[in-house]
Amino acid sequence: MSFLFGGSRPQLSSAEKIAAAETEVEMISDMFNRLSQSCAKKCIPPEYREPDLNKGESVCLDRCVSKFFEVNMKVSEKMQGEAAQKGGAGGGMGGFGM
Amino acid sequence: MDGLNASEQREFQGRMEKKQMKEFMTMYSNLVQRCFDDCVNDFTTKSLHSKEEGCVMKCVDKYLKGSERLGQRFQEQNAAMMQSGQLPGR
Repeated sequence: MSFLFGGSRPQLSSAEKIAAAETEVEMISDMFNRLSQSCAKKCIPPEYREPDLNKGESVCLDRCVSKFFEVNMKVSEKMQGEAAQKGGAGGGMGGFGM
Repeated sequence: MDGLNASEQREFQGRMEKKQMKEFMTMYSNLVQRCFDDCVNDFTTKSLHSKEEGCVMKCVDKYLKGSERLGQRFQEQNAAMMQSGQLPGR
């Protein structure tokens, strides 16, 4: 589980395990929603001349997803770096690794 | 999502279904708003022009297709990222 850090793994209750799984799904789902909004805005102009995606829009969407993930990773790396520098807070950044 | 026993899995599944339903409704509302904002700007008439209606239909089509494509790419990227071990603690 990505949100468990620190030495030993305590026994979690059912409710806690389910909540953790739910939180994880929520984070991924939230990321997808933000990505969708941003990429649709950046790649699909509001003219709607035809009902299908044209080649340009399709390629734009593909690249947008790729870059979004890259930004996500770089921000997470940088923040982990800063936290580690400030000393010892690196353990708290487990959730950003996504 | 690892380490859930059968009954926990069922509970989790149930919650995921509810969540999916909610997400679908949100997507629907956003789509209505987006296509309205982009297509409907003339209020000299009470009902939609055929041009506005056509625009809305194309808008929905385009967005659904775009969403599908984004979903596919997202899954690919997510899988690749998990494999390359980017997630700490996995």
